[in-house]
Amino acid sequence: MTISPDSWAVIGAGPHGLSALKALLERGIPAHGFERDTDLGGNWNYHAENSRVYESTHLISPKPFTQFPDFPMPDSYPDYPSHWQVHEYFSSYARHFGLMENLSFNSEVVRCEPIGADAESGWDVTVRDRETGSEQTHRFAGVVVANGHNWWPKMPEYPGQETFTGEIRHSAQYKGADVLRGKRVLVVGAGNTGCDIAVESAQNAKSTVHSTRRGYYYNPKYAFGRPSDQTADLLLALRLPLALRRVLFKTTLRLTVGDFTKFGLPKPDHEFFETHPIINQQLVYYVGHGDIAPKPDIDHFDGDTVHFTDGTSAEVDLVVFATGYLAHFPFLDDAWLNPEGDHPVLARQIFTPTFDTLVVSGLIQPDSGQWTIAHWQGMLIAAYADALRHDPEAAHRFYDRMIAEVDQRFTGGADYKDSTRHYYEIAHQEYLRTLENDLSSLESVPA
Amino acid sequence: MSGVDSRLRKSRTVMRLWDWSVPPHGVHREVLSSVPQGWDDEPRATRTPPLLFIHGLAHGAWCFAEHWLSAAAQKGFPAYAVSLRGHGGSGGSQHRRRTLMRHYVHDVMQTITELPQPPVLVGHSMGAIIAQLVADRYSPRALVLLAPAPLQGAGVTMAALARKRPLAAVKVVAGGTLPMGSGQLFTGLEEATAEKYVSRLVPESPWVQYELLRRRRIGPVRAPVMVAGTKADRLVRVADVERTAAAYGVEPVWLTRVDGSPLGHDVMLDDGQDRALDAVLEFVSARAM
Repeated sequence: MTISPDSWAVIGAGPHGLSALKALLERGIPAHGFERDTDLGGNWNYHAENSRVYESTHLISPKPFTQFPDFPMPDSYPDYPSHWQVHEYFSSYARHFGLMENLSFNSEVVRCEPIGADAESGWDVTVRDRETGSEQTHRFAGVVVANGHNWWPKMPEYPGQETFTGEIRHSAQYKGADVLRGKRVLVVGAGNTGCDIAVESAQNAKSTVHSTRRGYYYNPKYAFGRPSDQTADLLLALRLPLALRRVLFKTTLRLTVGDFTKFGLPKPDHEFFETHPIINQQLVYYVGHGDIAPKPDIDHFDGDTVHFTDGTSAEVDLVVFATGYLAHFPFLDDAWLNPEGDHPVLARQIFTPTFDTLVVSGLIQPDSGQWTIAHWQGMLIAAYADALRHDPEAAHRFYDRMIAEVDQRFTGGADYKDSTRHYYEIAHQEYLRTLENDLSSLESVPA
Repeated sequence: MSGVDSRLRKSRTVMRLWDWSVPPHGVHREVLSSVPQGWDDEPRATRTPPLLFIHGLAHGAWCFAEHWLSAAAQKGFPAYAVSLRGHGGSGGSQHRRRTLMRHYVHDVMQTITELPQPPVLVGHSMGAIIAQLVADRYSPRALVLLAPAPLQGAGVTMAALARKRPLAAVKVVAGGTLPMGSGQLFTGLEEATAEKYVSRLVPESPWVQYELLRRRRIGPVRAPVMVAGTKADRLVRVADVERTAAAYGVEPVWLTRVDGSPLGHDVMLDDGQDRALDAVLEFVSARAM
C-alpha cells in the first residue's frame, strides 16, 4: 500500500471516522482510514472487541437529527433503529461514498509521531497488522483522531469490593440479558446504558437493585405522539429560552410520567439539562412494578452483601458497573490532548493547541443525536485541511482564532454536573451554529 | 471564481430545524431505471456515473422514461428517474395539499441513498430547483439544470400569466395547478402526441407552487454545473436561465434541433430531445468522469 505524504490519516472507522474520511475525499484531499477491527462501525459493530452495544441496543435519539444530513436513513427504518440497522446504515454509507477503497481493516494505529517540533513536516503513523503482528509506518500530512470515547471502561472502587463473593463485571462486558437470568443483580449507574440494563434485568433476573448517585430526570422516548427529541428541537427552533424550556419539559414529565419520588426514586438534585439526558421510558414502569429497587450510592461491599449509603443493604450475585467510559488515546502522548491530566483540552472539541495538524472528531456528548454533528465536524476538518493546502496563511489565522477560544464551552447556558464526561457535553444546536459560522469563515476565503 | 452573480449565493446551511423537528414521512416512491449491462461489475473509480433525473411541476418519472432513460443507458450511462410524491407512480397524492418542497427533497435524498455511488443530478424546471436544494446538502457528481425554474423566484412568470390570462392567474393564486397546455411545453410535436403528454400531467401542490415564487440562494457547490435552456421556452424566460447560469459562473447552453430551431420547455419530450440528451451526456463525459 502506498500512501502519498500529503494525505491525512483517519484513525477509526466508526461514524466520526467515516464522515471525516468522506468529507476529506469529497474535497479532493487524499486520506486513508485505519480500523483495528475487521469491519467498520466502531461501537456499532456488535461483534468487534471494543464494541459496547448489546443485543437490545437501539438509538435513544430519533432518526432526523441522528442521521448524516447528506445520507438519510431509509424510510423503512423506525424512529429509533436497532444497532443492527445502524451498522447496515454505516455500511451503505461507506459503499455509496466509495470509502472502502480508502480504508485498511485489521489495522491498529499504535503510534503517531510528529515530524519536527510542531509537526511541520507531518506525521509518522505506525500501524500494526492485527493478523500478522507486523508494523508499518506511513508519512501523513495530518491526523484525524476518531477512535471513540465509549470503549475504555471506567471502573469504580468501593471499600470491600475485593472481598465481594459474587461476580463483578463492567457494562463493557455486557452483550445480552442471558448473563442476568435467575440472578440477584445490582446495576450501578444511571447513564443510558445503566438504565437499559436495569430494565433488561427487571425482565430477566431474579431481582434487580439499581444504585444511582443522585436523582435524575427519566425522559420518555415519545411525548405527544412523536419522538421527544423532535419536540425538543421544535422548542429550540422557536428559540424559547432555557428557563422556559425547563418549565415546559418538567411540566410535560410531571403530566406524563408523574412525580418520580412517588415511585421511590430520589428527587433530582439538579436542573433539567444539567446532566446528560436519560432517555428511558421503561425504567419508571418497572420501578412501579417492584421489579427494580432504586438505591443510593454504594457504601461498601461485605461478602455477598452490598451496603448502601442510606444504611440499607442487599444480597447480590452479580454487579454490573454501568459507570461509563474514559477517553483513551494509546497511540498519542498524554500531554498532547490532555495537558492538565484529567480531560482533553480541545478548541471546538476538534482542534488541539499542541499541533495544528492533529484534530479530533467525536469527542462529544450531544444532548441529541450525534451523526449530524459528525458530518459537520468532518466538513469543518476537511475545509481546514483544504485551506492548509491552498491558503496556509488563512488556515493559520483560522487555527489561531480557534485556539484563542479554547475555553469556550457549548452547553446552551446550562451548568453541567461534574463528571468525567461533562467536558464533552454539548448543546447540539448551539454547537452547530458555531460550526456553521466557522465553516463560512473558512469557505469565504477569497479565491 | 469570476463572473459569479454573488447575489444568489449564500454560505452553507447547517441548521435544518424543521427537518429535525417535523421530518417528512416516507411514502411509496416510484424509481424508473435503465442500467447498461455489466455496469455493476466495472470498477467504480472509472465507470460512468449514474444519472438521476428529477422532473418538474405536475410531471412524473414517466417523462424521462419516454426516451431518455433507455437512450442514456445505450450510451453507457445508468439512468434513474424518481417520481416525486403525488406524481407518476409514487404515493402521497392524498397529501398533495400539504406537500412542501422539502418533501420532494426528501424523496430525492432517499433515492440517492439507494444508488451505488453519487449521481449526476439532472433537474428539469421545478426539478432543477429541487436538484439545487439537494446539492445544498449533498455533493453530487455534477449538477445539470434544464430549463430551470428561476432562482430569483417565479414572480415574473406569474405576472406574465396575469397579463395574458388573468383568470388562470387567479386560479393559481387560489391553489390551482399552473395551467400547462401543449403550446407552453412543446414547439415541434404533432398535436396528438403533445396532447397525450399533456393528459398525463397531474395537479401540483399549491404550497410548492407558492414556494417557487420565493427567491432561493445557493450554497457553495463544488460539483461541475451545466445550465441549459431553450430560447422558445414559454415558462422559463431566457433572462432567467442566464441568471441561474450566472449564479454558478457558467455560460448557459441553448438547446436546438438540427435545423437550429429551439425546443420547447419539455426538452426531454419535444422533437429534438435526442440532441438535448446528447448535450447533457457530452457535458457529463467532459466534466464528470
